[in-house]
Amino acid sequence: MSRVLFIATAALLALGIPVAFGGTQADPGITATSIHIGGTTPLSGSAQAFQSVAKGADAYFKYVNSRGGVNKRKINYEYLDDQYIPSETVRQTRVLVEDKDVFAIFNSLGTEQNEAIRPYLNTKDVPQLFVATGGTTFGRDSKQYPWTIAYQPTYIAEGAMYGAYIRRTSPKQKIAILYQNDSYGGDLVKGLERGLGPRKSNIVSRVSYAATDDNVQSQIAQLRSSKAGILMLFATPKFVIQAYQYVNGLGWKPKIFVNAVSSASNVMVLSSSQGKNKRVEGSISIVFLKDPNDPKWAKDPAVLLYRKIMKRYAKGSNIKDVYNLYGMSVAFTFVDALKHAGKNPTRASLMRAATHLNERNNPFLLPRMSVRTAANDHYPLDQARLQRWHNGRWISFGGLLKARS
Amino acid sequence: MSRLATVRAAVTAVALVAGIVLVYFLPHADRIGYIKGSQLGVYFIAILGLNIVTGYTGQISLGHGAFMAIGGYTTAILVSEHGVRDLWTIPIAALVAGLAGFVVGVPALRLSGLYLALATFGLALAMPAILSWDKLDAVTKSGQEIQLFNSPHLLGKGFEDVHFLGRTLSFNHAVYYLTWGIALLLLAVAWLILRGAPGRAFRAVRDSELAATSSGVRVATYKTLAFAISAAYAGIAGSLFVIALAFADPQSFPATLSLTLIVGAAVAGLGSLWGVLAGAAFVQFLPDFAVHISKAQGVPDTVYGAALILIVLLLPTGVAGGLRRALSPLTTRLYTRSQSQ
Repeated sequence: MSRVLFIATAALLALGIPVAFGGTQADPGITATSIHIGGTTPLSGSAQAFQSVAKGADAYFKYVNSRGGVNKRKINYEYLDDQYIPSETVRQTRVLVEDKDVFAIFNSLGTEQNEAIRPYLNTKDVPQLFVATGGTTFGRDSKQYPWTIAYQPTYIAEGAMYGAYIRRTSPKQKIAILYQNDSYGGDLVKGLERGLGPRKSNIVSRVSYAATDDNVQSQIAQLRSSKAGILMLFATPKFVIQAYQYVNGLGWKPKIFVNAVSSASNVMVLSSSQGKNKRVEGSISIVFLKDPNDPKWAKDPAVLLYRKIMKRYAKGSNIKDVYNLYGMSVAFTFVDALKHAGKNPTRASLMRAATHLNERNNPFLLPRMSVRTAANDHYPLDQARLQRWHNGRWISFGGLLKARS
Repeated sequence: MSRLATVRAAVTAVALVAGIVLVYFLPHADRIGYIKGSQLGVYFIAILGLNIVTGYTGQISLGHGAFMAIGGYTTAILVSEHGVRDLWTIPIAALVAGLAGFVVGVPALRLSGLYLALATFGLALAMPAILSWDKLDAVTKSGQEIQLFNSPHLLGKGFEDVHFLGRTLSFNHAVYYLTWGIALLLLAVAWLILRGAPGRAFRAVRDSELAATSSGVRVATYKTLAFAISAAYAGIAGSLFVIALAFADPQSFPATLSLTLIVGAAVAGLGSLWGVLAGAAFVQFLPDFAVHISKAQGVPDTVYGAALILIVLLLPTGVAGGLRRALSPLTTRLYTRSQSQ
């Protein structure tokens, strides 16, 4: 008797559960007319210059919404302030996922910040899309964290591009490095060594700073005493601007390489003290976006669109701030992924779309660049060009290079 | 029992019940929720502790964020490295932070006023660097992020439902009730300490060290005691901070956290327990409010500063002082009547 009861119960459960929970149950944050996504960015605190990465993306979504959204769904992008403090990133991300029921986390900013929320999002099966950092781990560790995907070229790849270029053009020069003492700075140094290959021994001095430091004056003095002919600046904008001033003040004349995080033309103008500091001339960096301040792109349709969107949907923002355009580029890719996630996207289908991108029409990227991903390739952008600062603007040279580590 | 005492007891009881009801319904308010409600409780405990040393004993501490860090790291290391159940780490965190407070309290005896404030602020500034120091790798993982998420020793592993007395609570609800349960307990403890002989000694030290000494109060003992108790409170707050996020790193306890706490204590009103909830709410929700006003670059920080100036101008003795003034017509009458009877 009890056996019969058991079988009957089992059968009932087997039949009943799919009726109750299965089939078409939708993920949180999505309806027939809207999709709610969220992320964190520093709106206050010392790193607030990076907030344009969220604001540019938000402006682009508003533009897409004004044209009917994606499959008739309006994108509601809610970005919260984390003050660039990882524990706040955790708290605000939990608020977004559990209190605000967002469908996915998108474009959250910072290497350590994204590392802090990655285990949580991967346990809850919430997509962590297009993180705003070049930390190599976000592309590399996709097996362990299948719900996480990177966006920009990795810091290791960027460092390797500089290393390969130095090895080819000035293999005898001694090299000094200023870098931030975390995985971001560490990845760039690792990449540089990889690119230099046998010329790795040319590195004669490496000095680090902490993100919480006030300035890098003593670091620059220490680097100068190495008498190196090449200086690598693997630092965030505030410290890069300081470094250029101190190098000039000390009368040091090295050839300077500046990482992409701090080489936006609006930052370079500040570094050069509006053109007065000649040490900035001839600096080298990498580029993968169209620079809205570069006269070369003044008539480019993407830059014209950028200006139009900024004027209409990001009133009061600084149009010269290149991070806005970065935000639009990543928002374009999100829209592309959403279009390919099916008529009624789920978190899983969106993640699948994000890892099967073949986007050749992102207008904000350099010509011929594409955004490609695969199940085992969580590196969307893996190309870039070298560029040299000349007479107040960047001039790119050489072809499109593979930026892959 | 005199009429005054009866009225005071009644007011306290009503306030306590109102507080408990408020705590129960708070997370249901729009835009608050259980996650921020828990953080409010953490600030409540830390500000309560800070009030004991700064408000009642008159020793300005700009370093209480450092004691939160010590408590938080005690929990993080015990859970992640030694497999200690998270709830048991809370009293240990109190003990370790209290001991640190005692150690800081001893040299603090030689300093007073602005000099003590600066010395404690030095501690707050140094704490993230100390936690990142590679010589302490064995203890603090030299500044790496500590993930407790998914740890079996953590309440609901940091995200799952928690079963308690036959009821099932979500993780966020459980943390909220845990935090506020401890907060109310610590409020009662603070009240008991402060209304008795130690509280009188604390206030005597604050008002005049000379007079206190000549009345037989051992100033050094009570100053260090106040520091130790206060630091233990901060340690518990830090421990709960880490449990709620299942995460710790040195940047979680920046020097600005210590300033945030002193702002909360000042807004609450130094030397009174009535305003602590308001002080905690101020530091918890003002940043959200500032971002809500405008997200334009630079505006949130400016709004925060302006609101602080405004509240100090309007309520120079904090919310507690404001309450006292607002109720003064009533209390004056009660006092005069009870005396005439």
